[in-house]
Amino acid sequence: MAAFTAYTIIGLSLGAVFSLAALGIVLIYRTTGVLNFAHGAMGMFSTFVAWQIFYGWSHPGWPGWLQVAVAVVAAIVFAALLGLFLELAVFRWVRTRPPVVKAVITIGVLLALQSAASLIWKNNAYHLPIYIAPQGWSWTVADVPISANAVLIVVVSLGLALGLAAFLRYTSFGRSMRAVSDSPTSASLWGVPVGKVGAVSWMLGSVIAAVAGILITPFINFDTTSLTLLIIDALAAALIGGMTSLPLTVVGGFALGLLETYPTIWIQSIGFPRLVALVVILAVLIVRNPRGLRVAA
Amino acid sequence: MIRICLALVAFALLARLPVGFDVGFQFDAALAVIWGFGLLSLVLLTGYVGQVSLCQATFAGVGAYAAGMMFSTFHVDYGVAIAVGVLAAFTLGLVVGLPALRLYGITLAIVTLGIALVFDRYVFQDHIFEWFTGGSGGWRVEGATLFGLRMDSSRHLLAAYLVLLVLFCLVGLLMVNLHESGAGRRFRAIRDSELAAATVGVNLTRYKLLAFGLSAAIAGLGGSFYPLVAGSVSPQPFWVFTSLQFAAIVVLMGVRYVPAAALGGAFMSFVPDVLTRFGHGTLFNRYSYDISYDWFQIAVGVLLIVQLILLPDGVWGDLRGRVVNARSAMRGFASRRVKVA
Amino acid sequence: MTMLRVRDVSVRFGGIVALDGVSLDLNRGEILGLIGPNGAGKTTLFNCISGVITPERGSIFFDRRSLKFAPPHERARMGIARTFQNLQLWGSMTVQENLTVPMDALGGRNTFSDALHLPFSAYAERASSERARAILHALDLGRHAGTLAADLPAGVQRRVEIARALAMKPSLLLLDEPAAGLDGPETSHLGELLRAVRERFHVSMLLVDHDMSLVMRVCDYVYVLDFGKVLAKGRPAAIRDDPKVIAAYLGEESKEQPAKPQATRTIAARDEHPLLEVKNLAAGYGRLEVIRDVNLFVRPGEVVACIGANGAGKTTTLRAISGMIRPRQGRVTFGGQDITASSPERISRLGLAHIPEGRGLFPRLSVEDTLRLVSNTTGRQADIAEAYQHFPKLRERRRQAVGTLSGGEQQMVALARAILARPRLVMVDEMSQGLAPTVVHQLFEILRVFRDQGIAVLLVEQFVEAALDVADRAYVFGHGAIGHQGSAAEIRADRKLVSGSYLGTAVDAVGAPAANGNGHRIDHALMEVVSVKVPANLKRALEERAETEGRSAGAVVMDLLEEVKR
Repeated sequence: MAAFTAYTIIGLSLGAVFSLAALGIVLIYRTTGVLNFAHGAMGMFSTFVAWQIFYGWSHPGWPGWLQVAVAVVAAIVFAALLGLFLELAVFRWVRTRPPVVKAVITIGVLLALQSAASLIWKNNAYHLPIYIAPQGWSWTVADVPISANAVLIVVVSLGLALGLAAFLRYTSFGRSMRAVSDSPTSASLWGVPVGKVGAVSWMLGSVIAAVAGILITPFINFDTTSLTLLIIDALAAALIGGMTSLPLTVVGGFALGLLETYPTIWIQSIGFPRLVALVVILAVLIVRNPRGLRVAA
Repeated sequence: MIRICLALVAFALLARLPVGFDVGFQFDAALAVIWGFGLLSLVLLTGYVGQVSLCQATFAGVGAYAAGMMFSTFHVDYGVAIAVGVLAAFTLGLVVGLPALRLYGITLAIVTLGIALVFDRYVFQDHIFEWFTGGSGGWRVEGATLFGLRMDSSRHLLAAYLVLLVLFCLVGLLMVNLHESGAGRRFRAIRDSELAAATVGVNLTRYKLLAFGLSAAIAGLGGSFYPLVAGSVSPQPFWVFTSLQFAAIVVLMGVRYVPAAALGGAFMSFVPDVLTRFGHGTLFNRYSYDISYDWFQIAVGVLLIVQLILLPDGVWGDLRGRVVNARSAMRGFASRRVKVA
Repeated sequence: MTMLRVRDVSVRFGGIVALDGVSLDLNRGEILGLIGPNGAGKTTLFNCISGVITPERGSIFFDRRSLKFAPPHERARMGIARTFQNLQLWGSMTVQENLTVPMDALGGRNTFSDALHLPFSAYAERASSERARAILHALDLGRHAGTLAADLPAGVQRRVEIARALAMKPSLLLLDEPAAGLDGPETSHLGELLRAVRERFHVSMLLVDHDMSLVMRVCDYVYVLDFGKVLAKGRPAAIRDDPKVIAAYLGEESKEQPAKPQATRTIAARDEHPLLEVKNLAAGYGRLEVIRDVNLFVRPGEVVACIGANGAGKTTTLRAISGMIRPRQGRVTFGGQDITASSPERISRLGLAHIPEGRGLFPRLSVEDTLRLVSNTTGRQADIAEAYQHFPKLRERRRQAVGTLSGGEQQMVALARAILARPRLVMVDEMSQGLAPTVVHQLFEILRVFRDQGIAVLLVEQFVEAALDVADRAYVFGHGAIGHQGSAAEIRADRKLVSGSYLGTAVDAVGAPAANGNGHRIDHALMEVVSVKVPANLKRALEERAETEGRSAGAVVMDLLEEVKR
């Protein structure tokens, strides 16, 4: 039973990260029509920026919490700039192209970011994780050790998700974003600045991905490729939400995290969780679209 | 007829090319053709039929592992190993084609990416599949014979290259024939308007599955030569990023054209090697630089982005467009928007 | 044995009933027309027959075989072909290749033999090419055989689509708005072509279109749909004069007399410089050019109506003005500024509001959120209370998602937003679409509010009566250009003009000969089988008469049956 709870906590932590990543993907997709295959790569790069600052460039005299804070803030700023850059330099010019072409462009972005990171930080090398909460902190609840970092991930994820929801619901710009995600043509007829909304979406999505990446470093192989490849799990969670509903996406993310973790109780395998993700993707797609032929001529 | 002559000329030129090379470059030449097969498979699947796929390297990998397994476990003539490799890849292609019957564009891309990942991280690496992959070390292929001729990796690279080249020219020729033929038209009809194709009597299921199977078989054909040429198989050459590079480079070169696949193969194989071998030294006697493989991939990514924004038909496609259609090329690229899928 | 029987077909999309128990018969040799106002369900029914949609209830029989589980390529084999409204040709192939694909697909060709150029394939290729050339020649497309389909003008592409359908040797040809994007002369050529095709290729046809001149001229029998039900059926001339049909298209005759002091207002407005000016506007979608040379203007505070049949270009004109689509030629000036190629955002901020067809709302936003969005156009917080004053019903529903509101309420939201945005000109496209007459009446009252506030209105409306009631001037659209213009009173008085623009004129109908050619020539491929039981002595009498007259019994029977028509 204790083992089960421990696995549950790990599953939830993993799922929290999937949810965050998926939120960014859905946001960008709904407001710009771009399915961002490079989302994991973007988060990965920002995470490495944080790592670099934390382990490489921090002032040794500073207290631990300050070092962490500076690294995280720097990464967030970087992520925002990266998102903005992509929108202004790349995606603004291809707004009218079919979605597949835009997705293939993100593959180019993925390759470029991936190898740039590999160049700077060496591929497949082990990197020390970034501990937001100090490593040793944990509580024991009913014989089960719960690390502070795990709790932190879940709390931060839910907090960010709620914050995003509040932003979309109650602010004027959030309304504009929802309008664009519902119908870009109608939105532009209403004077909503579609271009600005797209840019903000990219920035927000990138920042959320960065936060997700930083949080998850204690729980996975922290190298350049594994973070990039989390894209497939994030996509699975996004698909569970139908690429539309943010709450469902969050639920889907957590569910996927659990689904991927529980089998590891019996099956010791690095690759098996990927199979779970694929099965989930196929199941969701087939269930949601039982008829094959496109109706829209 | 003209095509056959052109193919023969191309073959003659390319066959002569690597004779003076050292072993490293000879290996690159053989690898160029192997990757060329992978790109060719995308020309068929995406260029001709309009189906997106991000797992072509997986098919090549399956071919490689199947061939390696046949040789190492059963010690057969390598020709048999290749046949099994192609068959295995073809079967997997049919299986992957099944979800493709209902999915399009982005969703198909997501599913094939998932498949590539599952094979890369799980099937090719997990110990459950050791009977297929030969464990963490992979299969070692030494002392192989191809239809009686000795083909011992590095010593007979040139011979392997020639065989690969012959096959590539043959398959390329068949593909061009297919493109112009009735079946090719049906494939292209599916690409240009699936709805109209179905309404007109084209059996979508049959043709899409066939497309996936054939495409996988082509990739698998190249892949099954890999153990012969490299001496061993490992998951690394067939991992997700290779599949992504296939997609990127074939689009870059022109996803609808057979010669683009050849160009892309050479690009994928020679450029990184040349860069790593000669790409280091000192600039102005002060700055030392060291161009590694990563630079190659960065370039691919950036070039792909730039190309899709500016030149939708790919490098070869654009050149061909200029030569064949001088007048419409003048009118500007925007009017000849060619869709990838 | 009727060729096509549609029985009790019903289709729902979410909560909307698109088709409600529709039944239809198509006989061999007929050209059957299917018409109805926008949103009546024509396209849905068409898609059911061609296999794109599966109906929830009801059945469709073709040559006595049920089409229930037949996928599109099965239907092709059975002999059903179709063309597409938005032209689904295979652009990267030549015209001839476009034709050979169906022949190959239905002729059982083999991929491997094709790739290897085996003799079987080579032979089949030659045969297909020759048949393709023959069909192209019959349709006067011979010189385009080697051209890439994507490089042809829309009118030619239409004929190629028909040719491609004919290459399937079909017995039934489904035509989906074949006149879309064609101008007057092109449309009449199309009509002739369709009739020639029937004679030569022995094909029956089902034609869906908005262009009444085409339908009246070409069809033997017409079904009219409205709100998903069959409203009327009959011969073209009868349909044209049927008051129910006229009402469905034009709206109810206005009961109240327009006792408005319009005269004074118009005089004052006449001297002012136009607020919106459109000159030589041309625009379209893809290869289709829908409007060719549109010239209109709107003065400040005026209400101008645009009427005319669907497909005439009214909606496209509005879209080209507001920036939703890019004009290909011409100039649009608003308040002195050139807005021809501007973005919709900029245009709306200049004070030109557009309520598009379908209302342009956001299904998942609440009413209140939607209204608050107006701040994007006006640059400051909106005074929502004012909107609730005009539309008290919206106050109750203000937290509801717009997608869950009824059609009338949604239209209120769109109009409320227009009021709050304080534009100088608001363009309203098909406000009454899909709404019940009482609701429409309420909405038209709101338009008067616009006028009272000095906001100019450009109105595209199918309910001609109500539109002309509230408008100062009107433009009558036809075939992508303006046919007539004048004050609302003038246009309204000319009833023939008005109904003619929608339902075609008597002139159009005159040219239509009786079904199945001139009656003297009997084409067996285009006839239905009817079995009757007759007593023996009647049969004898028939045979005797035939012998006396020196004809076959069948011919005598045909003559006698012709009596039925009169």
